[in-house]
Amino acid sequence: MKEKINKLVDMKKKIELGGGEKRIEKQHSQGKLTARERINLLLDEGSFVEIDAFVKHRCTNFGMEKVEANADGVVTGYGTIDGRLVFVYAQDFTVLGGSLGEMHANKIVKVQQMALKMGAPLIGINDSGGARIQEGVDALSGYGKIFYNNTIASGVIPQISVILGPCAGGAVYSPALTDFIFMVDGVSRMFITGPQVIKAVTGEDVTQEELGGANTHNRVSGVAHFMDNTEEECMERIKRLLSYLPSNNLESPPVYDINDDINRVEERLNEIVPDNPNKPYDMKEIISLLADNGEFFEVQEHYAQNIITGFIRLNGKSIGVIANQPRVLAGCLDINASDKAARFIRTCDAFNIPLLNLVDVPGFLPGTDQEYGGIIRHGAKMLYAYSEATVPKVTLIIRKAYGGAYLAMCSKDLGADQVFAWPSAEIAVMGPEGAANIIFKDEIKESSNPTETRAEKIKEYRDVVANPYIAASRGFIDDVIVPSITRPRLISAFDMLESKRESNPRKKHGNMPV
Amino acid sequence: MRKFLINVNGKQYEVEVEEITNIASASKAQPVQPQPKAQVQPVQKAAPQPEPKAEASKKVEAQAGQEVVKAPMPGTILKVNVSEGDSIKQGDVILILEAMKMENEIVAPRDGKVVSIAVSEGTSVNTGDDMVVLE
Repeated sequence: MKEKINKLVDMKKKIELGGGEKRIEKQHSQGKLTARERINLLLDEGSFVEIDAFVKHRCTNFGMEKVEANADGVVTGYGTIDGRLVFVYAQDFTVLGGSLGEMHANKIVKVQQMALKMGAPLIGINDSGGARIQEGVDALSGYGKIFYNNTIASGVIPQISVILGPCAGGAVYSPALTDFIFMVDGVSRMFITGPQVIKAVTGEDVTQEELGGANTHNRVSGVAHFMDNTEEECMERIKRLLSYLPSNNLESPPVYDINDDINRVEERLNEIVPDNPNKPYDMKEIISLLADNGEFFEVQEHYAQNIITGFIRLNGKSIGVIANQPRVLAGCLDINASDKAARFIRTCDAFNIPLLNLVDVPGFLPGTDQEYGGIIRHGAKMLYAYSEATVPKVTLIIRKAYGGAYLAMCSKDLGADQVFAWPSAEIAVMGPEGAANIIFKDEIKESSNPTETRAEKIKEYRDVVANPYIAASRGFIDDVIVPSITRPRLISAFDMLESKRESNPRKKHGNMPV
Repeated sequence: MRKFLINVNGKQYEVEVEEITNIASASKAQPVQPQPKAQVQPVQKAAPQPEPKAEASKKVEAQAGQEVVKAPMPGTILKVNVSEGDSIKQGDVILILEAMKMENEIVAPRDGKVVSIAVSEGTSVNTGDDMVVLE
């Protein structure tokens, strides 16, 4: 027996070495951690339990029968983060370049299905050269199964993808189907076709980093949600994200004890918004002043910065914030902002996270590039996502709320449960300048001094219409509040809404414009 | 130096193309250079130049480590806060662009020096127009 035990221990030791010390050294010299180091960094100490360590590939083509691949290039299992169960897989670049073959894929599929069955988040760490070409269609089929399970699990358990190395070709679609993508500057690379293919086909010269680095996908393409400088920081951020999410769609997000006053009055809020409606200010300051302990966990911080998305806590409970940023593109909604917001709203709705909408929006961004790019169908996603969401929805109109963009930021009619406005709110079909030009067209034309008449009429319109009281008199706004007491009012509203029960008609699924 | 074989009306020409590395003068001159062909489309910033040259100057821009601050949306320049040769820090407000009834602050994307300014107060810009070149 002792001999057998020793043999087992030796075998496990060998498997845990992955591709061997030389390759581990190479991984380290590239500033990357190994699959097992990454898992240990992410999970609570000593909590990781490995599954399928003994799995081997079955390929006999092209001399593969002689190739030994420990754990078939992917470490899978479960463990805890902050004491909560999570499932995890990490591709091991030291074993055949982390390439994905039939058994490698089967291991991933097994943890996907376990995570789904147990209702626990799944975190996938990607570091792979791509499909194991020797395995041909078996490898391809592996990807297909992973995509399928990603889709089935979507909206049931949180799925998080961490790109810590190459993730190229078809492999990118697994992360793309998950809820959040994390990247590390200088380490992560994601693209459908690499620089060589692009060079051959279009003649364009582009580096891997420019094409699919963390910066590109966080700032330009909007594929990724988070960017960090090191793998350690990235793992810390994943843990923070999970603290805002429930383990599955049937649970509520965890509630934390807070040491912040729920009745905190914030005088600064009374003076943040400039008197001149043409002056910008920083919406993030308002978010921080409202949040428990001023903590704001931003999602897609670098992409479409004209809209802000992220999580805060109010009275210890997780809240998803969608806010216009007047400092960027005047806070207009455009194609990218609509996409970013719609995706975030649906993520929150899927995981029972109430929504707080902070509105200061002058309208949709005008321009041929926007119209040709399909702002109509992209903007529609926001309307769709808000209308469909059944979680508590609270809207706070801070300043401008014009036209379709006012509706798109979750107006009363799109199902906002409570709408508040500050006295600075201007709710109208369009801004005073444009409206005055249309309504008083003849008077301005016939006037002896058109410029003066125009200015007068703009002022008249602003005084009469551009305020929150008309909307409040119709009940589109539930209350106009003094800015300084916003935090207690929001907390009270979300408390009141906690027992909200609402369901949409039974259907297979809606048909959201994409 | 790159060589191309070009076929025109059945006749073959061997063309040599060289990249020009002296960017400072090339990019600076571009917006003001009187281009006879440009008159046809006065709003288009990339004036149709002889093809190889246009390509070359575009490439050089990127290589020389310069960065062009482009207009994020259509509007009017309200204020220019910097002049050519100024050193600036990331986050400094270099221009105020009035658009969508908002005085939008255009900030420096990084530390650097202002090489040239293509706009002045009152200039109307379109999305993607070059405004300031940084080094």
